[in-house]
Amino acid sequence: MTGRLFARRPQDPPPVAQMLGLVALTGLLGLVLMPWIWALVSSFKPRAEIMSTGFLPSVWIVDNYVALFRDTLYLRWLFNSAVVSVSAAVLGMALSAMAGYAFAKFRFVGREVLFWIVIASVSIPPFTTVIPLFGWLAKLQMLNTYPVLILPFAASAFGLFMMRQYMSTLPDELIEAARIDGCGEFRLFLTIIVPLARPALGTVGILIFISSWNSFIWPLVFMRSNEMFTLPVGIAGLNSEQMAEYGLVMAAAIVSCIPMLTIFFLMQKQIIAGLTRGAVKS
Amino acid sequence: MTVAAGPVAAVRRRSRGPLGLRLRRAAVPYLFILPFFALFGVFWAGPIVASFLYSFTQWRGISDPVPVGLKNYVDLLSDERFFTALGNTLWMAAGYVVVANLAALALALLLDAGWMKLRQFFRTAFFLPMTISMVVSAVIFQLIYAGDIGLIAKLLALVGVEGPAWLRDPTTAPYAIVLMRVWRTMGYYAIIYLAGLQAVSTDLKEAARLDGASEWQVIRHVTLPGIRPVALFCVVLATISGLEMFDEPMILTQGGPGDATLTAVMYVYQQGFQFLQLGYAAAASYVLTLIIVLISIAQRLVLGEKDR
Repeated sequence: MTGRLFARRPQDPPPVAQMLGLVALTGLLGLVLMPWIWALVSSFKPRAEIMSTGFLPSVWIVDNYVALFRDTLYLRWLFNSAVVSVSAAVLGMALSAMAGYAFAKFRFVGREVLFWIVIASVSIPPFTTVIPLFGWLAKLQMLNTYPVLILPFAASAFGLFMMRQYMSTLPDELIEAARIDGCGEFRLFLTIIVPLARPALGTVGILIFISSWNSFIWPLVFMRSNEMFTLPVGIAGLNSEQMAEYGLVMAAAIVSCIPMLTIFFLMQKQIIAGLTRGAVKS
Repeated sequence: MTVAAGPVAAVRRRSRGPLGLRLRRAAVPYLFILPFFALFGVFWAGPIVASFLYSFTQWRGISDPVPVGLKNYVDLLSDERFFTALGNTLWMAAGYVVVANLAALALALLLDAGWMKLRQFFRTAFFLPMTISMVVSAVIFQLIYAGDIGLIAKLLALVGVEGPAWLRDPTTAPYAIVLMRVWRTMGYYAIIYLAGLQAVSTDLKEAARLDGASEWQVIRHVTLPGIRPVALFCVVLATISGLEMFDEPMILTQGGPGDATLTAVMYVYQQGFQFLQLGYAAAASYVLTLIIVLISIAQRLVLGEKDR
């Protein structure tokens, strides 16, 4: 640190160019944040002003937020989303840790094939699985139930991939030592492997949570009543039913961003580590 | 030799053990993967196979599927809307892959520059749109694109220009949707590119500079070849997600105007869940699957490691 804003090494561009670079980045950042700002501003506008030419509301009103919680099932959708996403994340962490451990530390017949099948499933377009499931679940009368949205997300290919990657970095000697001490296989996993894998577990949990929280197709097809909708389906419904209630829809959109943004700021490190780990190593 | 044979023999004997113990030991990994694969089988592998079988049937949902051989696939060949949907999908996905990756790479190069200040801040800020769902981003962008009351229209009005209704005009609607997608995911790909750039050896770059290479030559001949695997990852991922586009056109345009933004996955949804032609939808979905797999393989061949 030289203390000068534009310290310059021989290979660096001249300060003017650096300045231009920063200005361009800041401008681009403004563009990236603009839709949110616009949605936020619009959510405080009375209906008439959304339709008029002005940019800022003449009076900032909270009516849209009041209506959102009073006249719609918004809190119920929020609750549904939370139940489904938290359950999927917790269950998904357990399943992918167990399976990832087996793939990383055991040799068994079918290991390569099974792993390859899971990875290949990632490129299958969504309705390929949804179509038969719809028929089966309808017959079993399981449409409109939470497990239908929890279980598929808990079997996450991404989670398995990431846990296998992480588990294979754990030293074999540790496992061997525990076995020689007579530690049972499952106790070994719970008391030695799981604590060591905590960072990767956190990442897997968050990523499953995000994909479940943001998922649209599954709840759209499998949830058949207003009370069972998750936030994306509920918001999409508000958007199509009440075409002109833009203020209300924007309020719904803004509130739905809050949990994810909170999680992102709290766990930024794990999220970014998780997103880049797979890419750079594979 | 005889001294060493003792412990080795003991280990061998232990690992053979009685049959029951050996079986139990062999079962351990299967027990660990069982819960995962039980769910994976029911919710992913099973349906993927079943879908293929159903694609040879006529299946209206309530009644049992009736085998019809290749009829669905033959019908698809003469289904103009299906080809429109496929064409839109390929075209929009291509645009999305190119623009999103170039923008992300440019952003990452800028953030990776040695002189860059506030790198962490920018990295975080550009990633933010990725934390919201496609549904919410589509809903928000509605108020950006709307012809009369949208932000763009209002800004254009300030300078006396009357823009088109971006989402209601078949020539602009696909671009509007692609741009919105770029907005949402650019930061995500930029983070991955940035991680790849930072993994490129600084020694190699220094050596090139000492040999008199210009900054551009360093980027062109050292940095870019170094991030080839990362680029492959991003391009394949963007391609798959682009070819599976559904949420945004579903919310913003319902595939319109006309069929200008009808995507393949939307078409499958319409056939399956609006017209309850589940067998036909499964066939259409399988054609799309095949296209995705072929394109991914082609990308791996072109962008993958040359020495394999």
